[in-house]
Amino acid sequence: MKVGVFKFSSCDGCQLAFFELEEELLRLSEKVQIQYFLEASSKNTWDYFDLAFVEGSISTPEEEERIKKIRESSRFLVAIGACAVSGGIQSARNFEDFSEIYFSVYSGRYEVNPLSKPLSDFVKVDLEIRGCPINKEALREVLIALLQGKSPQLPSYPVCLECKRKGNPCVVVAKGLICLGPITVAGCGALCPTFERGCYGCYGPVEKPNLQALLEGYSRLRVSQDLIKELLRISFNGYNKSIREWL
Amino acid sequence: MAMKVQIEALTRVEGGGSLEVFLRDGKPESLRLSIYEPPRFIEGILKGKPYQVIPDITARICGICPVAYQMSGVQAIEDAFCVKIPEDIEEIRRLMYFGEWVQSHALHVFFLHLPDFFNVPSIIELSKIDKGLVLAGMEIKRAGSFIIQALGGRTSHPVSVVPGGFNALPESLSELKETLEKALEKALWTVEKLKALNFPDFELKEVLFVSLIEEDYPILKGDIYLEGVRVSPKEFKSFFVEFEVPYSTAKHAMTKYGRVYLVGPIARFNNAFEKLSPLAMETAQKLSLEPMVKNPHKGILVRIVEIVHALERSIRIVKDYKKPQRGKVEVVPRSSTGYGVSEAPRGILWHSYSFDSEGRILSANIVPPTSQNQRAIELSLWELIKDKENIKEDWLRDHAEPVIRSFDPCISCATHFLKVSLKDAKKFNLA
Repeated sequence: MKVGVFKFSSCDGCQLAFFELEEELLRLSEKVQIQYFLEASSKNTWDYFDLAFVEGSISTPEEEERIKKIRESSRFLVAIGACAVSGGIQSARNFEDFSEIYFSVYSGRYEVNPLSKPLSDFVKVDLEIRGCPINKEALREVLIALLQGKSPQLPSYPVCLECKRKGNPCVVVAKGLICLGPITVAGCGALCPTFERGCYGCYGPVEKPNLQALLEGYSRLRVSQDLIKELLRISFNGYNKSIREWL
Repeated sequence: MAMKVQIEALTRVEGGGSLEVFLRDGKPESLRLSIYEPPRFIEGILKGKPYQVIPDITARICGICPVAYQMSGVQAIEDAFCVKIPEDIEEIRRLMYFGEWVQSHALHVFFLHLPDFFNVPSIIELSKIDKGLVLAGMEIKRAGSFIIQALGGRTSHPVSVVPGGFNALPESLSELKETLEKALEKALWTVEKLKALNFPDFELKEVLFVSLIEEDYPILKGDIYLEGVRVSPKEFKSFFVEFEVPYSTAKHAMTKYGRVYLVGPIARFNNAFEKLSPLAMETAQKLSLEPMVKNPHKGILVRIVEIVHALERSIRIVKDYKKPQRGKVEVVPRSSTGYGVSEAPRGILWHSYSFDSEGRILSANIVPPTSQNQRAIELSLWELIKDKENIKEDWLRDHAEPVIRSFDPCISCATHFLKVSLKDAKKFNLA
């Protein structure tokens, strides 16, 4: 099986999950050929890939071209992490005045798109691994499942279920904190509530997030809709297809 | 006749970059270390947001050194709002930071840099030559990850760091002790192997070494030490001067005295050698390292010395750890500007923010280490190629790329600082 790991606009944090597999990465390399992975190897070939893992969002014309090329060369394409799945933190700009943001950072000119978008705005994505960053357990699950020709089992339920499993007291009820857990996909192990803070949404929205119920619930706690929307826009997943229209 | 030789995509570095060398009649005329990571406008996105988002958002500038961003970030906030952090919380911050040093240095030493010394393309091939060494590297890296995980929930983009301290802290860290001790043993064991490596003969010329000053070997905070002068975090920006140099198409940032400077492990080692932990000091002696280290290829040795230092110090902090009465102190926003600087694995990382009276961000300014090192990297490359004729791409890959790699550049961070000159302008795409 030929594997490629690619990077677009991102922090490199999701590719690191491959390195975190450590010894398993070495064992894995006996079963698959990692043909293209710039950060890991100085020898890279690009013909075709059975499996392409893509980190990062699409934010320049060059990236638009390159993701299409990767799609054409790949049988199965996996988006890894919030940038690839939703557009990442850089997509927070999609809700603001781009030229103002641009000139507050750069004095010159750079060929960059006003919007940072997920891969799925440009190509068909076969599978998403959620998280900012993804965790190595999810990566391992996907690699092993695909090697065996099975469907990977990744959570689709919200963080609240993980909280209950861990026996965390609900931070909304007990502490009056704002938590995006009810509409965020599980997989992190309810990390933020475990550290006594509200979930900030880095695994992105569940398939059909009931945003209306979330907003109504918080309005009963006197939290404004605007604040919840602001939090979602900077949740690393604000431009996810399932919530972008709301924001 | 003018022509260009290029390494289109640098490999085994963090982020996307290329190296272009411009030749005239076969002789090198100029070169450019190009950074083609698209900008992500983090500083622009921060504008107008509440101060509390700084640690989570700036962490996303870099997947390898998020803790550094969080530490410089929260210290800038605390500086602005006049918050004093108790010593016990600062000690835990150091521990988390040491975790990142160990994780990031081990990643660079074993996964990215070491394959060059064995002429193999990656750690996977290296493991076929010396599996013990690779597994040791992995174990060391894992120990660093464990520290960050214990204190912040996950190895990259941890969730516990907040202005004022930590949102929550573990009752005990005793489960870390054994892991760290084993990793320290492993690190000491790798020293002999690293000592046997062959280093290309090469010296940085005319480069100034810049790092922070702390009572201990610098990591968390302090003034910047520059040619015998102490510069406060607030004065830092006034030490940047940009001007053009003949061998580069990029403008260079230098000190206001017109010197190219280097930040990171080699700079820290050269400036604060005598503050290393006992075992790190011993390690340096074993490796025949003493200030001034000027060969960037030996960065790999300095990193292993810093790994030993970080592990030894971490073990001490873990042994003494008692969960603080208060994990965080109160932070009350006010209209002001603050500065935070710390020693990321790759060197000085400087943050500055201005806030309104509600604590909303009016402006954000971040200077990562790699952008400061870009000049020193280019200067080294220039030294390497200036007398060569008819350079080919293969030669660049074999000789120039390892030089770049030895500096451990983090291009995801550096893109952040890139001020593109109009000369490089492409059509500004607002379609």
